[in-house]
Amino acid sequence: MLDISSLLEEIKASPYVESRITAPHCGVVRFNETLTPGCKLVGPNGIWKEKPGTLLASIERERCPRNINALEKGELVEVKSDLAGQFVEAGTEIMRVRHFLSRDEVLQILLKQALHLFNAPEKAKYYFVPSVDIKIKNTGPKSVSVHDGMELFIISRMKRETPLRYSGPDGVIYAVYFSMNQNIDAGQPLIGVCPPTQVSQIEDVSMRVQTEWPED
Amino acid sequence: MDISDNKVLIANRGEIAIRIIQACRKLGVDFVCVYTAEDAHSGHVRLARELGGPSGLYRISSYHDANELMAVADAAEATAVHPGYGFFAEDYRFARRVMQRDRGIVFIGPSWRVIRELGDKINTKRLARSLGVPTVPGSDRPIYDELEAEELARSLFNFQVQQGIKNPLVLIKASAGGGGMGIEEVQDLDLFRSVYRRVRNYAARQFKDEGVLIEQRIRDFNHLEVQILGDRNARNIVHFGTRNCSIQSTGLQKRVEIAPGFDPSSLSYNFNAQKLMDDITNHSLAMARKVGYDSVGTWEWIVTRNGNPYLMEVNTRIQVENGVSAAIARVKGQSGVDLIAEQIRTGLGDPLGYTQKDISFEGVGIEYRIIAEDPANRFTPWVGRIEKFDWSGLGNEPWLQMYTHVPTDTPYDIPTEFDPNLALGIVWGKDLDEVKARGLQFLDKLRLEGVAGNGAPMKSNLEFLRNKTPDILKF
Repeated sequence: MLDISSLLEEIKASPYVESRITAPHCGVVRFNETLTPGCKLVGPNGIWKEKPGTLLASIERERCPRNINALEKGELVEVKSDLAGQFVEAGTEIMRVRHFLSRDEVLQILLKQALHLFNAPEKAKYYFVPSVDIKIKNTGPKSVSVHDGMELFIISRMKRETPLRYSGPDGVIYAVYFSMNQNIDAGQPLIGVCPPTQVSQIEDVSMRVQTEWPED
Repeated sequence: MDISDNKVLIANRGEIAIRIIQACRKLGVDFVCVYTAEDAHSGHVRLARELGGPSGLYRISSYHDANELMAVADAAEATAVHPGYGFFAEDYRFARRVMQRDRGIVFIGPSWRVIRELGDKINTKRLARSLGVPTVPGSDRPIYDELEAEELARSLFNFQVQQGIKNPLVLIKASAGGGGMGIEEVQDLDLFRSVYRRVRNYAARQFKDEGVLIEQRIRDFNHLEVQILGDRNARNIVHFGTRNCSIQSTGLQKRVEIAPGFDPSSLSYNFNAQKLMDDITNHSLAMARKVGYDSVGTWEWIVTRNGNPYLMEVNTRIQVENGVSAAIARVKGQSGVDLIAEQIRTGLGDPLGYTQKDISFEGVGIEYRIIAEDPANRFTPWVGRIEKFDWSGLGNEPWLQMYTHVPTDTPYDIPTEFDPNLALGIVWGKDLDEVKARGLQFLDKLRLEGVAGNGAPMKSNLEFLRNKTPDILKF
């Protein structure tokens, strides 16, 4: 049985995540000069998250500037200001930010403890088989029931594709942990499945996070 | 401007990037390389660091991002770009863009008009037919409509029945694919739709383009190629002979290439093999002259058992197997021909400097593609860590050339993003018997060991290559 209280206390003891902001591609980087370390940042907002987060910087290659916006609410920790106006390589660290875990993130952490995780057997790209993919896109993952032996994924390595069958308890897909064209390491979870016997526990987790995790 | 005043952006990775670096060094031309995070431990990165100086290497997000490549070209002050093979090598829009942008640079490959003309299957077939060159029956353009595809397949089945073919077959190919990827055959029209949808979905996932080609599947054939080279003004177009690329995986990907394409001096064929090689060479040259071909390129042919050739396609780029043609070629009697260096030299504006009369051929060459894969399991790629890769047991034999991006002094994790080619071993012999013996000697001395994430030992195609060697060039 999952000890939700203890897990929540553990997360509350360390509720921040610090992340590196890196150049998504090569180009000349320019920082938002109004930002200094300690500034508050907001993530995407609006009803459909249609408004981008705080503008952190922009990077330009071939006259195509691209904004780098905050993806989460948080605080600016460091700006690599010596790179301002410089041509940087892809992956170069340009800033560091930290943010307070959101309810959704806390819920995802707890769900990973509560759900049955089906892990990637090898490093590869993963796709759902077309019939499941269409269903998930139209009505969400919770509309898909899975059972042991079901052909659920396509493994893609070096453009060669092979089918992959789900193994584990019957249930519905509660969480998807990969996206299109993303490389997944062996052992990383692909989906979280909620067996019928655990529905009440999952609902309890969700309720506890909603009521006990503060969020502005 | 002397060609050594240039700096070449190498917009590719792995073994071909290494060969382009080496060709640039040979020509005294500066270069700049790129790599992605997945390729950080590739041999081409190490070589670029060693030889390219502080501005010889840039990390990029993707080899597919043209904007990023051009940004690197500007930052590094490159004056030319070599696309290698794959990625942008046959993209006429990319070739046109690099030439026509404000700070235009040279595209080391055919002019964009030539790529467009020969990259378009309709134009290629039309051009071929106008010159009396036979082509494989099938679609002239990518097909996106299921009913149209089915109708074409039906007509191809009927055509084969009329030709007296007992078991007609149709091929469905992802039009944006390459290297044998995304090809399936259909033997029953009732199964066509399901196979069509599978290939279409695969093409959409892997190549972001749902277009497919429908062609008659010709069985029992040999796959031959003609290597062409033209200088920049296309006034001087020569050939570097033929290659036989018939030893392939079940997915129709090449595994062994031999030059020349047939060996009538030691093997007998059902047809006049020398005449056939001469015919396809002449057909290829005629097409190249007609379009003003101005770089390296390959004309790919299917040859049936009774000796009928059909033009499949033209690859407007340097190919993986260029080195095996170079191995048997002599220019003005000299060995050491390097077609990549020739492509760069003529691409930067140097005249060819010789004619067909100066080119001769000597001996037989075999190129082995050494790949981490399991031939017994439909050539499934093997992923893991290579712990030993060594051919030093052979000594420094002059008849062997090895091209690889896999380090031999440190373990190497095979990236899952790219084709699993590990190395090319090119062996030369004065005749077929000698080259086969040397090929087997090379494969016997090669040490390739590794371990997968689950502890299972490495799988490779070395045994497959060994088993195929005794029968090369037999039809």
